[in-house]
Amino acid sequence: MKEWLFLVRRRFRSWATSLLTWLHGAYVAFSQWVRLVRPRLISFLFDWIAWVYLLYAGFSVHHIRTSPTLIWRPEEKFVLPELSPTGWIVVLLVTIELALFVRSFGVSLGQRAFGVSLAPAGGSGTRVAFPRRVLHFLASHLALASLGLPVLVNPERPWHERVAGVVLVPRARGASRYRPWWTSAYALTAAVLIGVTVALGWAVTDIQLGALVRDVGKPARLWRGLSRPDLSYFFTPHPMETDSIFGALVKSLFMALLATVLGAAIAFPLSFLGARNITATGPVGRLVYALTRGFFNVFRSIESIFWASIFAIWVGFGAFAGTIALFLHTIAALGKLYSEQVEHIDPGPVEAATAAGGNRLQVIKQAVIPQVLPPFLAFTLYRWDINLRMATVVGFVGGGGIGLLLKNFKDGGEWTQVGAVIVTFAVTVWLLDFVSGWVRERIV
Amino acid sequence: MAHLVIESLTKIYERGKVRALTDVSFEVERGEFLVLIGLSGSGKSTLLRCVNRLVEPTTGRVVLDGVDVTRLSPRALRRTRRKIGMVFQQFNLVKRSSVLANVLTGRLGYVPTWRALLGRFPKEDLERARRALSRVGLLEKMYARADELSGGQQQRVGIARALMQEPELLLADEPVSALDPATSHSIMQYLEQMNREDGVTVLASLHFLSLARRYGTRIIALKDGRIVFDGPPGAIDNAKFKEIYGEDAEEVEVR
Repeated sequence: MKEWLFLVRRRFRSWATSLLTWLHGAYVAFSQWVRLVRPRLISFLFDWIAWVYLLYAGFSVHHIRTSPTLIWRPEEKFVLPELSPTGWIVVLLVTIELALFVRSFGVSLGQRAFGVSLAPAGGSGTRVAFPRRVLHFLASHLALASLGLPVLVNPERPWHERVAGVVLVPRARGASRYRPWWTSAYALTAAVLIGVTVALGWAVTDIQLGALVRDVGKPARLWRGLSRPDLSYFFTPHPMETDSIFGALVKSLFMALLATVLGAAIAFPLSFLGARNITATGPVGRLVYALTRGFFNVFRSIESIFWASIFAIWVGFGAFAGTIALFLHTIAALGKLYSEQVEHIDPGPVEAATAAGGNRLQVIKQAVIPQVLPPFLAFTLYRWDINLRMATVVGFVGGGGIGLLLKNFKDGGEWTQVGAVIVTFAVTVWLLDFVSGWVRERIV
Repeated sequence: MAHLVIESLTKIYERGKVRALTDVSFEVERGEFLVLIGLSGSGKSTLLRCVNRLVEPTTGRVVLDGVDVTRLSPRALRRTRRKIGMVFQQFNLVKRSSVLANVLTGRLGYVPTWRALLGRFPKEDLERARRALSRVGLLEKMYARADELSGGQQQRVGIARALMQEPELLLADEPVSALDPATSHSIMQYLEQMNREDGVTVLASLHFLSLARRYGTRIIALKDGRIVFDGPPGAIDNAKFKEIYGEDAEEVEVR
């Protein structure tokens, strides 16, 4: 190579390396700062939002209970309660006061969530004297009024804690004496939160236990059909359908199988990129790790039904669309499970293989894969199970197979046929469950 | 020229800002059996792992055969690592794999990547594995799963794996801490044999001073990441012992 080219390359390399080192240093410093800021700022937000939610949820329950739209009517939209501007200001002030109060005079939910509590400065015991708590409460107001500036500037020892002579320390686990849950601030808050949430959910989802009992006879025709499944179209297709029940079942089984096998084949290599202990060894690795995990999370949260609807239009209704839909979801779901498995391996063999001079691929082959292969197989079998059940749902929106048949029979009101499909499907799922459970037990 | 030179080695772990090693310097001659002693957390493991850079030193140099290991490129580092065998406290075997597969791991630095990926190790390596296993007396366990073996047997597999590298330097990180006294001696004797017969330089960390006295040709004691003693086994008297292990310590004999 020409001399100057070599020099330029080396210069660029050292420049790039120092830039990466600097970026990494900045990242480390920033995460250190975040670690210190989190238990104060984020946990305060946590407490405050919890109080806002409590108040608002309470209002909402009251609103729904007292409004006339108790029974669902499509023409009436569900409206959340509205507050006047003054009302909002009152809510804002009250919730902030409450949040600051519990944070100074006990362990708040937010503090508990981040595993911290107040202690007297100087390490003299764990009991904070009442005057100090009052001082902390008052100083917190100033800290909050300045938009948390003391915490942002000096996260390790913010001004309002120094003034009050207290420190925020990691909660000693098990060190505090036993207290019944209703005497601690955080447990009490949590209990009230859960209670209000259930009440809100009850009101929002329009639960009417009465209807469940009163209208039990309404779907009588359905019950009759379901209890007398008609298996005459098990092998020969129904005159209105192209597939027999058995044919559609086979289709669904293969949809699930193909989606699982192909999905696993893609998820397998990706899972190593998405494992912190394998990939995230430098700034670049951390990026790859984050991207892979991000991909898994995004695709996992998009349900197969959605994909099936898209691909039904793209490639036409049928089993192909359903298979792609299941396949995409399988990659992400298996990828995440696989990655977590890779992260939980015994690091010892990896260390040994590295010490022997193996490169990354060799180490993965020799020390990681033997450890994860049995659980991988178990997950894959389990996924086939799930995919078979999902294949029905996917069929409903254009994915073909037994789901499509079920939908057509249901829409046609042929309840004896619906009964036949459901029985067939249930038996198949049960069989597959049994077999895959048996196999899984043997490989793990 | 000394086989291994450690020059003002310092390691600070970023998380928690723990100083594991502070300005550690010493030289090891070829063929020495150097034993590191010290309390748990005194930096023995970190020191050993800095030699083959399983742990990246913060500052300082590690010079092996005149080559500065701390400045090697990843590729050159892997080439150097294959000359450095390592034996671990927890054996670090893949429990689900066969003994043979575990022993072959020692050849990773020598075989091309595709061979390792396909699991097709060359004939010579299989022959080498056979020899290594018969040397530690485990030839008949070649196809057994690693977790079917006893602790002592597992550590012998670990030694066979190190033998596969045909190392010039052997790092042993508390090789007998997980074993009972009788088994400990048998394992230490394998290390001694490698040292005497193959001329392998050994760097071993040990918990028990009695083992260190029995097998070491030289002892280095660490305390809080600093060297507090460096000399022949005989030179550790009662006062020195108290300095290394603390006032309340009692010497325990391992027979």
